[in-house]
Amino acid sequence: MTPATPGPGPGDRRTVGPDGEVAEVAGVDPEVDRRRHVSDYFRLERWELPPGPTGEDGPPAMAGRTPVDAHLRGPGGGLRTGGLLTSIDSLGGFTSGLAVLPRWIVTTSLMATVSELTHVGPLRLRADVLRRGRNSVVTALDVVDEGASDRHVAAATLTCAVLDPDAMTLEFERPFVLAMPEPQVDPAPPEEFFCIEPGEGPVTRLRLEDQLRNPWGILHGGAVAMLADEAACRAALAAVPGAGSAHGVAATDVVLHYLRPVKVGPVEARCTVLGTRSGRTTVRVAVHDVGSDDRLVTLGSVTVLAV
Amino acid sequence: MSFAGYPPPVHLLGDLGMEAELTTGTTARVRTRVTPQVASPGGGVRIGVLATLVDIVGGAIAARVLHPDWMATADLAIELVGPPVGPWVEARGSVLRRGRTTLVVEALVVPVDEDGGDVTVDGRVPDPVAWASMTFAVLPAKDPSAAPQLAADPPVRWAFRGGGLDRPVLDALPVTVLDGPAGRVSVPASPYLANSFGAVQGGVIAMIAEAAGAEALGAVQGRDGSGMVVTGLQIAYLALGRVGPVVTSARVLATGPDGRSGAVVELRDTGADDRLTTVVNVTAEPADLAVRVAP
Repeated sequence: MTPATPGPGPGDRRTVGPDGEVAEVAGVDPEVDRRRHVSDYFRLERWELPPGPTGEDGPPAMAGRTPVDAHLRGPGGGLRTGGLLTSIDSLGGFTSGLAVLPRWIVTTSLMATVSELTHVGPLRLRADVLRRGRNSVVTALDVVDEGASDRHVAAATLTCAVLDPDAMTLEFERPFVLAMPEPQVDPAPPEEFFCIEPGEGPVTRLRLEDQLRNPWGILHGGAVAMLADEAACRAALAAVPGAGSAHGVAATDVVLHYLRPVKVGPVEARCTVLGTRSGRTTVRVAVHDVGSDDRLVTLGSVTVLAV
Repeated sequence: MSFAGYPPPVHLLGDLGMEAELTTGTTARVRTRVTPQVASPGGGVRIGVLATLVDIVGGAIAARVLHPDWMATADLAIELVGPPVGPWVEARGSVLRRGRTTLVVEALVVPVDEDGGDVTVDGRVPDPVAWASMTFAVLPAKDPSAAPQLAADPPVRWAFRGGGLDRPVLDALPVTVLDGPAGRVSVPASPYLANSFGAVQGGVIAMIAEAAGAEALGAVQGRDGSGMVVTGLQIAYLALGRVGPVVTSARVLATGPDGRSGAVVELRDTGADDRLTTVVNVTAEPADLAVRVAP
């Protein structure tokens, strides 16, 4: 369960201007937050859409755009699925948060199906709140490839739990706009940025470095998705002879339940290959916070396709 | 074991002949026989029927864990993995997390023999039939003293008894195809399909989405719904479908070179101001691509 960013720690107050600059954050270094934020790594641009037929009282809708930079392309030729999921989590979580202001949310589950693994880019995302309840928000996301005549890329559903009131105070200038971050000079590849490294057997590890923590101090949900993607692909390649022998493998259908926050680390994604059906391998991924009594923090499945 | 008389004597769950066991305070299993009435076009068991097993196993666990509170299924995801190489398929569920407002359950669907034991093929346990997970929203009891009494300590066994299906399960609902290429199918919100709230049961919702997705995705490839096998469902339950009929629409996302494809299916309660009740991501493959196993 991961609070969508931007989001401060309990009791903090922050104001986010139209340019996305953090004007006031207690207990969080805004420079670190701006420079090293996980969604910035994917250069996700975000903007709030005009009110729909239900007017100002209706739930907000947002759009986003993320380029497909060369170092972020996976074996399928497009944005790595883990990166796609990170942008989906970032935009969907933020939209869900706006829907329940002045309260905020934590992501509890992410279900996504990727229909196209080859992308021209940039990718455009749209997030619409489907249900705004007292305890939860459900948001649908759609991703298309602007560089390929808006060819469909992915559909996702994000469910968030609404946090208790008084946990924080959030203020945003509306409509919210966050410009696309400039490209980094000599950017780190995803494995390096996310501190992901192979473990023993069907295990992939992540070192919980500070840049992977969100403003709450816990591991960003997008980083968990990136780890799950990487771990499942490694497990499928190791378990299925000939899988991905041409170029590699890529994740298509993903379900993740964020059960508990990752606070300590290191983090391990322990995979079980369930089976292969018509060339697609389904992998169960259990993510544990080793330093926090090895507790299970995320569980899901990733279906992997040879490309 | 019953929950205030649910399900009624004539009900789909009874006709599916499900047998259930609460194995511990946090685990359960529910099985149904593999018959031609529940067969998918690829020869396995329809994913909507498997989703119904999963929903029931999760509900059985949730009713125990959350007592005296009640629950509603908030989301359910299921992915087909292997063929059902046995006379029965069984969903085995366990709790992943019990929170203040939600309960998360994981379920593995496996083939089992007549005695409920694991099936082996050439000396090894075959791949599971499917993997699934679901989230339940906790509904606090208004009057805890009025909550149904818990059954005895586990293990507790019970069965849903009915007359059995004399026709394919989609015909029993029944599903009426209004416009195949648009993924428009219609199903009445009848007592036969109801959950304990009197709305269309969550597993039935999965069967409806399966039918709608198969129609829309098949049409793109010049097939009808019987030419497609739905292999994955990601279901977000938004509201109850109480009035009916429940009518679907589908948006085809993409079709790959091998015919595997995806769609987003929406279900609306046309008798309740066309209220959006459910959104489902559906993935499917042509039946001739699917693993063929005669039930």
